[in-house]
Amino acid sequence: MTWTFLWLSLICVGGGLGVIPELQRQVVDRFHWVTAREFLDGYTLSQLTPGPTMLVSIFVGYRAHGVLGAFLATAAMFLPTAVLTAVITRHWATLRDRPWARACERGLAPIGIGLMAAGVYTLARSGIHDWATGSLALLAAAVLSTGWLPPFLLVLGAGIVGWLMGL
Amino acid sequence: MTDRVRLSRIVQVFGWTGLTSLGGGRSAYFYDAVVMRRPWLKSHEFIQDLTLSQLLPGPSFNNLGVALGVRLAGWRGGAWGALALLVPGAVILLGLTLLYFHVGFAPNTTSAMHGMGAAVVGLVFTTTARMIRASIRGGRAIVVAAAIFVLVGPLHVNTGLVVLIMVPLSLWLHRPRGGS
Repeated sequence: MTWTFLWLSLICVGGGLGVIPELQRQVVDRFHWVTAREFLDGYTLSQLTPGPTMLVSIFVGYRAHGVLGAFLATAAMFLPTAVLTAVITRHWATLRDRPWARACERGLAPIGIGLMAAGVYTLARSGIHDWATGSLALLAAAVLSTGWLPPFLLVLGAGIVGWLMGL
Repeated sequence: MTDRVRLSRIVQVFGWTGLTSLGGGRSAYFYDAVVMRRPWLKSHEFIQDLTLSQLLPGPSFNNLGVALGVRLAGWRGGAWGALALLVPGAVILLGLTLLYFHVGFAPNTTSAMHGMGAAVVGLVFTTTARMIRASIRGGRAIVVAAAIFVLVGPLHVNTGLVVLIMVPLSLWLHRPRGGS
């Protein structure tokens, strides 16, 4: 199981959404650690919980091998790639002032912006499906641009509004 | 390299970000925490780390926490920052998992999630608009960002494939030139 989550973490590029189909294939269809229903519920719980969605590894790992399984699956999902990121970031910091490194950073910036903008589109496609959710999104954008409220209060408030309105 | 921010402050702010980043689009919470509310990073520095975290393998929110932590306080900043980011959500999810398997609790919160999801769209839209205003300079950068948006967003082209094509292209377009 640990190796499976390690491998899943390595193919997780550009955000967690892309790896979900493969995650489901491995943990439901191949190894039967959770049922399809449990996987869906676990994924829903991970979305409701703060922090990365890939913490769903806790749910699957616990079902497969208890608390130790939850720990190992999560460590495999997060630790190796975190070390890789730390090493690359640290070394990059020592090179940052060189002209070619600055050019790299200028070249990579629009990649990050483009991916984030595509993420807005994907979230909007799945999150806005009627006038009520569209209005909530517009209202949230307007309030956030003023900086009056921290984002989590707004998102939490929108969750309560959604629950009251039965969205 | 000296630490820009005390380790205890990083743990505090990253832990709070980890605890409050609800509903998707989680890098926007980080932007609010370290660029908008605290003068820890410039927008372009955040985007550098965001881009790196998206290009490297692994959950990008965690990668972003590591990259920002390393930038702000070296190795220890990366390690403690990532831990502070993960632990709150991990403890909550483990608790919910125990409830699910031992008490029979099942998530039936579709309406609340729809409300949260809609607000997150507004949050990520606002954050992305701020980043674009602060960091995109020049026609080449606009073309690259727009191409990636169209390919990955509306056209649903595989993200890995788009990154594989667009990264070398963008690096070539932004290569150092004489006098620049």
